[in-house]
Amino acid sequence: MTAVASSNRASRARIFLRHETILAAMLVVALFGLGLFNDRFLTIDNLLNQGRLMTEIGLIALPMTFVIVTGGIDVSVGAIVGLCAIVLGYSWKNLGFPLPLAIVFTLVVGAAAGLANGLVITRIKVPPIITTIATLTLFRGLAEGISQAHSVRGYPDWFYFLGQGDVFGVPTQLLVLFLAIIVFGVALDRTTFGRTLYAIGSNETAARFSALPVERVKLAAYTLSGLMASLSALVLVSRVTTTRSDMGMGYELDAIAAVVLGGTSIFGGSGTIWGTVIGAVMIQLLKNGLALTGVKGDATIMVIGVVLIASVLIASSLQRRRV
Amino acid sequence: MRSYLLTTAAAAALALAMNTGASAAGWDGADDLPTSPLACDASAPAAPAAKPYDGGKAVNAPDKAGKEISVVDVPKLIGIGYFNATSKGIADAAKDLGNVKVKTDGPTEAKIDEQIKFIDNYITSGVDGILFAANDPVAIAPVLKKALSKGIHVVGYDANSTPDAREWFVNQAEFNGIAKAMMDSMAKEAGEDAAFGIVTSTFTTPNQARWIAEMQAYGAKCHPKMKWLETVEAQEDNVLSFNQATTLLNKYGDKIKGLFGMTSVATPAGAEAVTKAGLCGKVAEVGLATPNAMKPYVHSGCVKSVVLWNPIDLGYAAMYVMRAVVDGKLKAGDASVDAGKLGKLNVVNGSEILLGAPYIYSKDNIDKFDF
Repeated sequence: MTAVASSNRASRARIFLRHETILAAMLVVALFGLGLFNDRFLTIDNLLNQGRLMTEIGLIALPMTFVIVTGGIDVSVGAIVGLCAIVLGYSWKNLGFPLPLAIVFTLVVGAAAGLANGLVITRIKVPPIITTIATLTLFRGLAEGISQAHSVRGYPDWFYFLGQGDVFGVPTQLLVLFLAIIVFGVALDRTTFGRTLYAIGSNETAARFSALPVERVKLAAYTLSGLMASLSALVLVSRVTTTRSDMGMGYELDAIAAVVLGGTSIFGGSGTIWGTVIGAVMIQLLKNGLALTGVKGDATIMVIGVVLIASVLIASSLQRRRV
Repeated sequence: MRSYLLTTAAAAALALAMNTGASAAGWDGADDLPTSPLACDASAPAAPAAKPYDGGKAVNAPDKAGKEISVVDVPKLIGIGYFNATSKGIADAAKDLGNVKVKTDGPTEAKIDEQIKFIDNYITSGVDGILFAANDPVAIAPVLKKALSKGIHVVGYDANSTPDAREWFVNQAEFNGIAKAMMDSMAKEAGEDAAFGIVTSTFTTPNQARWIAEMQAYGAKCHPKMKWLETVEAQEDNVLSFNQATTLLNKYGDKIKGLFGMTSVATPAGAEAVTKAGLCGKVAEVGLATPNAMKPYVHSGCVKSVVLWNPIDLGYAAMYVMRAVVDGKLKAGDASVDAGKLGKLNVVNGSEILLGAPYIYSKDNIDKFDF
């Protein structure tokens, strides 16, 4: 009797103490706290606008969750964004592709870049961090080499719908992000593919002995990472109306920060898409709320850093208690 | 380390793209624009053909003429000497005006999307005016247009946006003005028949390519006996710039009398190369650079003139232009604007305010600047 009660209490406590739950609570508190300081923060207009601005990072953070859940990492995504932006502009302007074809081509190049990462990691067995640091410089170098420091501008108006338009008042790219969140969330939570990701991250050797398609699944995760980076590039180019080879620089760190803040263990094996989404929203709204309250840019970065450290501390102390 | 790797990868990619063979013949500025060399003497440039106002307009901006306004200054990035100087100029002007509250805020790295987010946030928080120095002329345009549509006045300085995305732009120096100052300084120091080399970033970097094209046009017109030996690329890399400058000095030996540095990295590196080669006084180093980097060489006498504009004045002028726009004292079609201690500044190119002739830093004045 007492045993049942205590285990009941433990499971209730566990739900309450889940990282995502705590983070969500922190987010709500921070939202209202910042809302009290500034009456322009908690407005539909501002929140939707922030959604528009966070989409590019959000799209990258979703597959990044997959990659980190397997115990890997992909720091080349920012460079893939730059490369894909240039590929879009170059194939449209210089190679004369019609824009829809250039868009498809860009997505293919992004996926191929991710696939290349995956192949080096799974076939040649180079650790993910080393592989993607190397391809980061390679992709960024390619972007700079192809573009020759020229930017491509003057896209047709319909293309700006993705980055600047809205549907029933909701920014177009935010809808794309919602859709991606659902797809990625379901894939991680409800499918064999998702469970394989967790299995690889928890114990890759065990996963292999369980006859799970370890290599194939990892390959898929890195390819998705590249594909979503190219989608992010399309959204970014459409929003800022030009392509530059330095686009997406540093995106990898923002995306990884969102994933880790969302409770995904950097060692793999645990984490959720919902956590990542809360993490990304939290970083974006903290930056925005602090800026609106009059905190300067350099101080904002410090606050974000402190929040990150605090959340990691909370997460690791919780994990210890769970064991 | 990362930037080194990046440079290496970029260089490899460059080679792959088979684009290393750019020749020095026919500098076109990489932008298909015509050159317009200034007159050889110091006479004021002929008034450029009046161009109609092509800037944008703040929609239904509240009338705050003479009232206190709050302005935010978003430079390319914060925390570097150059933009500290513009920011100081802006603050000085705000103090002189007495009815402006201004603050400088921006990204810590020159990233286009970070800068866009800063401006976006200030639009939401509700300011009366935005001063900016664009990281990219086109990428920044949508957010500036949004500011204009919300009745916020927008004035640029240092680095322009597309004209219709802002009301006015304070232009620190026109390309032909810089070219004239560079060529005249070189002719004065190295002689009218001097042979010279140039160290630049890349042949296609927009500003540098444009300056070189203008230098060629102005040189042909006003210093026809000077001999153009070679132009070399050195990215904006310290070590590479030093090596390229040393190579030029060795390759042309006694023939080379002058060395131009086209970037704020290449000029001090060139001065260092001249110093190390023991050629001070024999080879003149002239170039664009910030004062702090050049102080040792100017004090040692190895470098006599450093060409740049005065960024404090640039910020000062930008703030005065903003105030004049809010007060309705600067309207489309006006020919000049009052800029406090700087006097009257002229409108050029439709919707730009010209700061004036470039500033030449020398032994006498360089210590007054700290950036």
